This record gives sequence, C-alpha cells and structure tokens, in this order.
Amino acid sequence: MVGLNRNIIRSILIASYIMIIATIIAGISALFSYLNTGADRSTMLHTEIAKEILYTPNIKWTPLLNEGRLMDVENLKNLERDYLNAWYVKHIANKTNTTIGIEDYYTDHARQNLYEIIAINKKQQTTIDATTLEHQPTLDFFSEDGQLAVITDTNIEYKRILKDNKLITETTEQATYKIVFLLEDGFWRIRHLVKENSKRHIVNKKSIATDSLHIKGINYYPKDTPWDMFGNSFNKDIISNDFKIIKEAGLNAVRIFIQYEDFGKATVKNDKLIKLQQTLDAATTNNLKVVLTLFDFYGNYSVLDWTLNQQHATTIITAVKGHDALLAWDIKNEPNLDFKTRGKKIVIAWLDNMITLVKSIDSKHPVTIGWSNTESASILKDKVDFISFHYYEDLFNLSTSVEKLRKEIPNKPLVMQEFGISSYSGFWKPFGSSKEDQANYHKKAQELIEANNLQFMSWTLYDFGKVPKSVVGSLPWRKNPQKKFGFITKDGKKKPSFKFITNSK
Amino acid sequence: MNIKHTYLFFLGLILLSSFSMLQETEIPSEIKLITTTTNFEAGNTIILKFSTSETVKPFLYCTNSYGTVLIEPTLKNSFLWYQVPNTISNKRGVIYWELNGTSLTGKLTVKPIQKVATMETYVGPPSIEAGGKDYSMLIIIPTDSLDNPLAEKTLVTTKYQFLNQQKEKPIHIKNLITYKNLYSPLKSGRILVSSECLDENSKEFTVIVYPANPSDFKITAERHHLYADGNQITTFYSSIIKDAYNNIVSDGTFVNFFIRNKKGNILKTSGTTIKGIATSKMIHPDYKTTWSVKAYVEGMAESNTIVIDYKQVLKDFEVDFSKNNRLITIGPLKSFMKQIIPDGLEVRLFVYKNNVLLNSEIKTSYNGFVDFKLNTAAYKKDTYTIKIIIAGLEKEFKTKTLW
Repeated sequence: MVGLNRNIIRSILIASYIMIIATIIAGISALFSYLNTGADRSTMLHTEIAKEILYTPNIKWTPLLNEGRLMDVENLKNLERDYLNAWYVKHIANKTNTTIGIEDYYTDHARQNLYEIIAINKKQQTTIDATTLEHQPTLDFFSEDGQLAVITDTNIEYKRILKDNKLITETTEQATYKIVFLLEDGFWRIRHLVKENSKRHIVNKKSIATDSLHIKGINYYPKDTPWDMFGNSFNKDIISNDFKIIKEAGLNAVRIFIQYEDFGKATVKNDKLIKLQQTLDAATTNNLKVVLTLFDFYGNYSVLDWTLNQQHATTIITAVKGHDALLAWDIKNEPNLDFKTRGKKIVIAWLDNMITLVKSIDSKHPVTIGWSNTESASILKDKVDFISFHYYEDLFNLSTSVEKLRKEIPNKPLVMQEFGISSYSGFWKPFGSSKEDQANYHKKAQELIEANNLQFMSWTLYDFGKVPKSVVGSLPWRKNPQKKFGFITKDGKKKPSFKFITNSK
Repeated sequence: MNIKHTYLFFLGLILLSSFSMLQETEIPSEIKLITTTTNFEAGNTIILKFSTSETVKPFLYCTNSYGTVLIEPTLKNSFLWYQVPNTISNKRGVIYWELNGTSLTGKLTVKPIQKVATMETYVGPPSIEAGGKDYSMLIIIPTDSLDNPLAEKTLVTTKYQFLNQQKEKPIHIKNLITYKNLYSPLKSGRILVSSECLDENSKEFTVIVYPANPSDFKITAERHHLYADGNQITTFYSSIIKDAYNNIVSDGTFVNFFIRNKKGNILKTSGTTIKGIATSKMIHPDYKTTWSVKAYVEGMAESNTIVIDYKQVLKDFEVDFSKNNRLITIGPLKSFMKQIIPDGLEVRLFVYKNNVLLNSEIKTSYNGFVDFKLNTAAYKKDTYTIKIIIAGLEKEFKTKTLW
C-alpha cells in the first residue's frame, strides 16, 4: 500500500517535472521564434516601390521652350512629381495645421512662410481644406547644372475654409504662380513662390441639347452577376442577349453602373475598360442607348480625394465618349443619401466639380445626377442637362411630386430613372406584393408616365439570386425583397409585369 | 375681428422670421470698401477699411502666394478694419481677398522692396573644359530683406575676370532670376565672377577651367645598357601631353604603356602625369628580344610606337655533372663584360625520359652559379635526357646516365 502511494507520488512528480520543462521550452522557443521574425531580408535594400497614388490633378505642360539647358523627360517627370507633392503636403498641412512633410518640398527659407501661416490658422482654429484641380505649367528656365528651375503655373484650386469646423466659405480660384525650384537632396524644392495673378474661377455653362432625348429604358444588371457586371464572369454574349430582350420589349435605353473601386479608382484598369467597350458595342448591335452611371459605391467626397476621382472619370470618359451607344453621363447614383454622413455642402461641391470636369472632356453627351427622390432633384438644376430622380414611393403621389418639380425646373426633361416594386412575398415579408401586384404597379406607372410626360428607366430586368451586402445591407427582410424587382424571373420566365415594361410598342 | 388680428399677427411673425433668416445668411450690401490703395511695398502694414451700417463682422478671406487666412475685423465708428497679417503683407505677389457673405472681392499687389539684402547666387557646374564650347552658368536672384525676389527688369551687372581679361555685362531680371552663361576660354585656369545689383555686390565665385582632352603625344625610353640582363630597368617617358589648345593636361592624367615583345606577349605598365609628363618603368627582359611600345590615355589620345632592342647578355655557359651525374653545376655565368652575372638570373632544367617530360625545375643564379640535385627517389638509375635553358640559350645532354 505504502509502495503504491510512493509510486503515485513519484509518477506525479515526474509528470509535473516533464510538464514544467515542456512549458519552459515552449516559452523559450516562442520567444526565440518571435525574435527571429521581423523585417524580410528582401526589404533590406529598400528596393520595393511602396508608392500609393495620392494626388493626380490634371497637369498639362505647355511645349518646352525654356531658356538654359534643354529639359529631358526624366528630369521633367521628377520636377512634376515633386511640384505636385509640394502642393499635396501643403494641402495636408493646411487641413491639419501641422507641418509634416513641408520640409521635403520647400527650402529652409520658403518653409518659414508656410509655418507662419499655419501658426496663425492654428491659433484662430481655421483650417483650409483644399485641392488643386488643374495645372498648366510652363518651364521658363532650367539651369546648365540641372539644379535650378523656374516655372510659371496657372492652376485652379478649390478651397473650403473652416473655422472651428464650421464652413465659412468655399471658393474656386484660378491663380498664376512663378516658382523657383532648387534640387536639394534629390528633391525639387520650392525656393521662391510668387503669385502673379488670382481670380475667381468661373466655369462657362454649356448646356447640351436634350430635345432628342426620349428615354424609355431600364436599369440593367446581368441576372447572375448583379452589382458585379464587369467582374470575372463577364460575358458579352449574355449581355447582348439581354439587350436583345430589352430592345424587343420596346425599350430604347439601359442604365449601367461603373463602380469606382471595381474599375481601379484613380488608375482605371484596362480590362474593365475593354469590358465596358464590349458592353457598349452590344448596345449598338441591338440599337440601344446607354446611360453610364459613374462613381457607384463611392462615398468619400473628401477634397483631397477629388484629383483621384477626376483621373478616374477622365480615363473612362476619354475612352468611351466617342461611342455611338453612349446616351448620357449620370455622375452619381443617389448622392443625396450621403448628405447626412458626409455633409450636404461637400457632396454638392463634389458633384458640381465633377459635372464641370465631365463637360470639359465630353461636350457632346448630356449630364445628369440620379437623385433618390424628387425633393433633392432640383439641386444643381442649372448644371445638369436633364433631371433624374428615383421613385419608390406610392404612385398615388407621383403626379403631385412631378408637378412640383416641373414648377421648379420648367425647361429640362425629367427622367424617372429608377422605379419598381418587388414581387416578393414570403417569410420575411408576409404581406408583400405578388407578381400580379407588380404588374398592376407597372401598368399604373406607365399610365402616370404618359400622363406626366416623363421619361423613364425602370428597376430592373431580372430577379437576382444574390444581392451583395453593400447594396441594402445584410438584413434578410431587406435583402430578399431586393431580389424580386425584375420583370423576368431568375429562371428567365417573364412575369406578368413584363407586359407593362413600356407603354407603347 | 379677433380672428383677423390673430391672422395678421401670425402673418407678421412669419414675415419677420423670414426676414431674420435672410439676415443670417446674407449680409446686407451696405458694406463698402473705403481703402483705395491696391499697391503696397512688402513689409508695409496693409489695412482694408470698409464702411458699414451694420454691426455684423464678417471674416475677410485673404490668400497670397503661400497660404490663406481668415481675418477678423475690428468695428469702430461704423468702419470695419481688417489688418492683413505681416506674414502675408511681407511677401511679394498678389493678395486676393473676399469679404465673406458679400460680393466684395479685390486684389492687392505687394511689390518687393527695391533694395538688395542678399545676392542669392548659384554657379554651376563648378568646373568646365577649356576650348570655348563648354560653359558654366551664373544665376543670381537678388532678394530683399524679406526674402522676396526683386522686381522683373531690375538691372544686375555681372563681373568677370580671367587672366588679364576683365568684363562687365548688364542683364535684367526675368522670371525672378538673372543668369549668364560663362563660356570657357581657350586657356585653362580660374574664372572669377561676381555680380552687382542696386549698388550691392555679391561674393566672389570661382569656376575652374580644366584643360580639354589630351591630344596625341610622343614617348621615349631610357635605359642604362642595351643588354637583356633581367636586372636593369628601362624607363618610359611621355612628351608633355597637351590638349588641342596647348594647355598641359591636368596632373594625374593616367597613361598606359603597352609593350609587345617578339613572341607577341603584351606587358603593361602605367603612370600618371606631372606637369604633362607621364613616367613608367619596366625591368629588362632576360633574353634577347625586341619591344615595341605604345602609350595611351584611354579613349582620348595615343602615342607613337617606339622599338627597343635588347642584346643577348650571356654568350655561353658551362655545365658540370658530378656525383653519379646527379649533381649538375652550371656556371660561372658571365655577363657582357665577363663579369659575374648579378644574382637572380633564371635557370631552367628539364628532364626527359624517352622524349617524355618527367620534370622541370627553375632556380635563380647565386654568385654566378646554379646547382641542381637529381635525387635517387625521383630519378631511378637510368638514362635521361637533360635540357638547360638560360637567357634564351639552350643546352641538351642526351642519354645521361644517372647512377
């Protein structure tokens, strides 16, 4: 008995000894492996290019006719990069009232001027949220030793001046600067900066004729890839086939969405552009016109983001503005939903600027904004060429709302750019509408459209199998109805509402 | 009656409230600009004065070359006073302002003080090549005491000195700067430059003019005797190497001498120039041969080719076999005056068996003699062919039997 006890104690002792040793070894080895982690050897030489594109205002050099040494492409590229960076760090400094980054792009003497102004603004709680939108530099002089350059730059700068975080004023100015740069430590730094002229920048309003606009259209996503039209499963035959259905139904236009991030943000991906071209080609084949909605799922609007947005839009518009199928540019889908979270003024300023940009690139196609309701639709009414609004409310009030809108905007076409009703009625919404209700809705809608002389684009051709979270969130009672807005079911069967997809054949 | 009053009251209230709302967003246009000056000199105080009939004190938005500020006014006797901060009024350029909430805007111009505080000067490149093609650039940015570049078209005089030449040239400020190209003269040396603007003089700056690329040159060789003794040294000299404008090339110009002997082997030696002359040395060959020598400044210039003959120093030598033919004593080796040849002459021994080379050994002479010991372990008792080569001379002993 005693011997057994002793054996038990012995084995417990040995076992605990082994466990303690194992724990210690595990601890040491964990520490050892932690100390062995760290910088990847390949980063030792800093050969990786960690460069994020942050600031891309439109910059166009006038032809080089400078005095002094002949300028080469490489040097000019560096000068341009550092010059734009100088603006960027200045914007950041003025926005935050800090001086980070200034010393890289301004020489000892020049940076004092910036510091003093930042100090004043910091004291007064003034912040300046600004960005330049356009630069037109001319190289005046480049020194023989390649260390000094003088440029004259005419640029357009948008500024919001805030005091105690309250917007005091916003302004767009055109200014001409003469700038002396020195090449120091591999940076082109600003040595002297002299503003030679400055005035408010006023854009000439050019409205585009919309007399020939008779939109009878539909919002379109392929049925298997809703909200992911230009993704990996892009298939031009499916799209072409759908366009054929749309055309044969008696419609003449589709509305298509270009997602900001999906298309590559500031640097638009080429394969996406090719897919967009193919989609437009399919529309041409089927004799349809296309309303392109830009900046879908974009929601930042921050002033320092504007140049990136501009580059995004410029690339896309330049690529397809000559296409026959293009009907109009829709700047943004339902931007008024961002008023609350982002601030109404900044969103409107963003839209205003974007309209100006789009019109400066494409002077042929009309521009609109897809407002989510009739109340917001009169915002920027003088800037857009036709008015678009979405209508998911009771059809009963449509005529009144339209009448009110007409009174405010008597001279521009009104397009009801999204409307429709879900035929979902199930677990998540037991008292939802049936397919017959949907048909009645569209019948009624078409009557009202005719009575109110509206143009229209309904939502949408197909029922969808899945709806991404980013569209209506992840709540099933919101997600499921969203799947059933189509005129055609997932299986390709036409619902009763299909008869009322348009009012005339 | 009562209803009518109430109605009127409410109507009045609505009217009033709409009016007060209007006031909040829009400041009445009764504010007028009084200040008429729009041109200021840097450093002067800038005050914008507005007359007003209201007590509203709108901000003045104000922006210049370097930044933007909001200015708060002081209201005194129905005048609004806006003082532009020194930071802004000290800097040359346009100040653009807007009175917030009104349609009043304006532009002020700040001129630099026309008095030089610093002659900001940049000279580059710091050295150029003689010949009149290459040039350096003198860039001057005269600035005032507030670090503003001076006005366009201000006169700047550049001054130039080289050897006994002294020049002045007037230029005018354009694009904030003035610049002058300094073309190199034909002579090498130092150019001194300075500048003057509004009676203020700059420091002295130097541009070094280096000689241009060397042109072709000649070489010579010097030696103590003509014999190939493998001991004395031959020295090669270049002529004074000059550029196309007769400037002696910079000290330290690297010259390579290539020596090709009769067998086609190439020897190389090199030297750098001092006062235009490059010197380089090479030990004599130890056998009769002919060298042809040519020198180069890589990629720029070359010399003529010179030919040097070396005479055979050793006419003949004696070989003595002893100790079962296993000790070979060579010598005495005698030089051109029959003097014992200096130590270190190379002697080579080859041992053949049936025309197959078994072994070779190299030794150098000491006191005119060389010994070779063929030990029994390496060379079994047999008959061998032994060959000895000294200074290009060859002696062969066939069927020597080693015991």
